[in-house]
Amino acid sequence: MKTTLKALFAATALTGMAATSLSAADVDYGNFDGYNLRVKLIGGAQYEPLYARIAEWEAMTGATVDVLSRKNHFELDREIKQDIAAGTLDWCVGSNHTSFAPQYGSIYIDLNGVIDEATLAEFQPLALQNSTVDGRLVQLPRHSDISNLYYIKSMFEDADNQAAFKAEYGYDLTPPETWDQVKDQAMFFADAPTFYGTQFVGKDEAITGRFYEMLVANGGALFDDNWNPTFNSAAGVEAVNWFKDLYEAQAVPAGSLNYLWDDTGLGFASGTVALNLDWAGWASFFNDPANSKVAGDIGLVRAPKGSAGIRTGWSGSHTFSITATCDNTEAAASFVTFLTSHDSQMVEASAGLLPTRAKVWDDAKAKFAADGNDFLVTVFETYAVSMEEDAFTPPLITPWIEVSNEIWPRLQAAILGEMTAQEALDEAADAARLVMEDSGYL
Amino acid sequence: MANKRPPFWQREKYTPYLLLLPAILTILFVVLLPLIFSLYTSFTGYRLIRPETLWQWVGLRNYQRIFNDGDFWVAFGRTILFLTIALNLEFLLGLGIALLINKITWGQRTLRTIMMFPMMFSPILVGYQFKFVFNDNIGILNNALQALGLSDGAIPWLVDEFLANFAIIFAEVWMSTSVFAILLLAGLFAMPRDPLEAAKVDGCNSWQVFRHITLPFLMPFVFIAMTIRSLDVARAYDIVDVMTGGGPAGRTELLWTLIARTGYDNARMGQANAMAYVSILLSIAFTYYFFTKLLAARKYMGGAE
Repeated sequence: MKTTLKALFAATALTGMAATSLSAADVDYGNFDGYNLRVKLIGGAQYEPLYARIAEWEAMTGATVDVLSRKNHFELDREIKQDIAAGTLDWCVGSNHTSFAPQYGSIYIDLNGVIDEATLAEFQPLALQNSTVDGRLVQLPRHSDISNLYYIKSMFEDADNQAAFKAEYGYDLTPPETWDQVKDQAMFFADAPTFYGTQFVGKDEAITGRFYEMLVANGGALFDDNWNPTFNSAAGVEAVNWFKDLYEAQAVPAGSLNYLWDDTGLGFASGTVALNLDWAGWASFFNDPANSKVAGDIGLVRAPKGSAGIRTGWSGSHTFSITATCDNTEAAASFVTFLTSHDSQMVEASAGLLPTRAKVWDDAKAKFAADGNDFLVTVFETYAVSMEEDAFTPPLITPWIEVSNEIWPRLQAAILGEMTAQEALDEAADAARLVMEDSGYL
Repeated sequence: MANKRPPFWQREKYTPYLLLLPAILTILFVVLLPLIFSLYTSFTGYRLIRPETLWQWVGLRNYQRIFNDGDFWVAFGRTILFLTIALNLEFLLGLGIALLINKITWGQRTLRTIMMFPMMFSPILVGYQFKFVFNDNIGILNNALQALGLSDGAIPWLVDEFLANFAIIFAEVWMSTSVFAILLLAGLFAMPRDPLEAAKVDGCNSWQVFRHITLPFLMPFVFIAMTIRSLDVARAYDIVDVMTGGGPAGRTELLWTLIARTGYDNARMGQANAMAYVSILLSIAFTYYFFTKLLAARKYMGGAE
């Protein structure tokens, strides 16, 4: 009883929530006295606060948790592949991601029937759908991600800028609704090397993803229904040229092709970039005066539309999976349910991570409003709409990362002018076809 | 009775082998078996995430793919160039540092310790450090150049083909020059004084002493350092992976960034192992070359052959 009360207090204190929602102690997480649950989790500043709650689950269930590994996703991916190869999947719960999940085959179990239906019903249907591979729910979504467009508000409000922009481009300077407008505005604001219009991540799956969402927004697709690569279409060329034009006009930093998420995030926070498409997790950082020169001066709009009138919405979820070799599926299920519970998601939402449970969206917004944090309220309102209406994942196929590795070096070559957009995409499509043939899709 | 031969493991002529047995077994299990296993996998379609593919024999298919793969050979050539430039720079700088430190009499120990600092960092940290130094927008270097009025543009250090390779070599040299410096300093400490004094008595100037006595004496140390570093640099991975990931557009791709991406990210371990075996030829060639030079240098000095 004492522990239950303690847990209840801890949960309430952590979330700061009134007792309107179910708190940890109201749910029966079972009793696994003496059991040692072995887990491999994603590490990193954004993800760690949730793990502080593990002690609570241990106290409630009598089990202990052994965290075997706490690495970033790419390193964790390598480790899991090594485990598969060596046959050492002697652990129960692993962090997973919608982009990575399809390649792991059947090492993770279908959670339908393992996690009870009432719990699953509390998740957003789209988040669950995106976590499903070949009809199997191989992962339980912890938080989702999608990008929207941050901008420096004062630059758009400046009367001189407004007049000069209108004179040059013939329409009003307002937060952009299309990617063509973003291009115009980025070129207008850019003043290299001290200031840039926008920026993009330039390597690895990051730029493949950005290209992919632009391709979709322009009405294209990576593959046809039979898995033939089709991204070397007119829509694809248009997408590549968007990046290339900005790069050539020096509207983005010259080093962009080497940037990953940290570089673009820190770049926007340094106050040297006008428009920045970025994940929700950066919102608090951008608006924190200790880290960011643009704090208090940030606007946010939904990701703009491509030439087909579709908004970009490359999305994915961080998730938890349970191995097929787990010796206590019930304990593992209890653990992942706990880590994705209402209270757990409130902890993550407070840091700006996007929840996967419908109710947490409202509760988090209410909490931000009560705290007087209007910026995070706007952030959550904007991201809620885009998660609901714009989100799409990369194709959930085993060789996704491999296909991506064929695409991104060619995108870089096209942006740098080593080959034309069409040549680069044709070459990438040929290489992607080989990968798809090798893995039995063609 | 007295003539009965002892069991063979007690016979004298087998004793050396018996004593060597633990070492031989260790090498067999720790080095040879994994090597044979990876060689075997290079003839299979082994994919990490599909353990059953370990038995899928594809013959020379992986090797055929490599020989027709332009990207691999470009990376191969770039690795040789990278190695040549990095080793020579490290040698020259290391020699300079060793000669300077050898001259000073006060604070030498402290300086020796300070000199080794870069070696104490993990290559990944060194990679991150230089990634931010060379960042074109928020990096220290570009900001310093702009503040000093030496540049009015953002120099794309990690994007331009020449500059990106320069930046990586710079990081590599920064981290490992002290390997050369330490080994050459050891050489200088071990150097007999007599020939130096005799040369001075005979009227040699400093350059002649250095050119004809100090340098030949140091050459064996140089080649040992070169061998060690060539093996190191030929498998350069961490720094490159962090700084550029082999990009952009493959401009800084070295053998091991390519092999790691093939083996882990693409999970094609069979093909990656085939690449690794071809690239080992490079290490063998460099090691053979430096050992030949080492023997020649020792012979020149009248040392053992």
